[in-house]
Amino acid sequence: MSDSELGRKWDQCMADAVVKIGTGFGLGLVFSLTFFKRRMWPLAFGSGMGLGMAYSNCQHDFQAPYLLHGKYDKEQEQ
Amino acid sequence: MVPRVWSLMRFLIKGSVAGGAVYLVYDQELLGPSDKSQAVLQRAEEVVPPAMYQLSQYVCEQTGLKMPQLPAPPKLNFHFRDTWNSGILTVMSALSVAPSKAREYSRDGWEYLKERIK
Repeated sequence: MSDSELGRKWDQCMADAVVKIGTGFGLGLVFSLTFFKRRMWPLAFGSGMGLGMAYSNCQHDFQAPYLLHGKYDKEQEQ
Repeated sequence: MVPRVWSLMRFLIKGSVAGGAVYLVYDQELLGPSDKSQAVLQRAEEVVPPAMYQLSQYVCEQTGLKMPQLPAPPKLNFHFRDTWNSGILTVMSALSVAPSKAREYSRDGWEYLKERIK
């Protein structure tokens, strides 16, 4: 992976993390205000979900060039 | 009868708000792939500052207040790579000149003390 591509992936990861954590926090805020009597746990839950999703996306993006996709060949059994 | 209707209305309003928020997230693909998130940030950078400016203008017109000149809005499309690289360069250059700067400042301090003691 070249340096510019690595930098581009890091930029994408950081932007993705900001958006997902913000979205999770926002959804948690809405649900906390509407259904859960202004408790703190929906905010923490939403932010944590967003962080986990962003981490998973980043991990997939960085591992993508090195993952091998195999195909099972049934003819070999015969 | 009336309290029951009122509690039902309240539940429907809360459900609509929460459902609208969930639909907005789904429609804008905020929890989708990472390239969509970058596009969302770029779109937000284009849309949010003019919207805030128009809202402030509307509030000024309606209330008759004069809003002070606000500082520039923060940049939403943040390039982590450029900031990180410039941060590393700044730290390394500061470390490389640190011994000579320390010697210069200690010499100046010593000269100042000598002047004061005289």
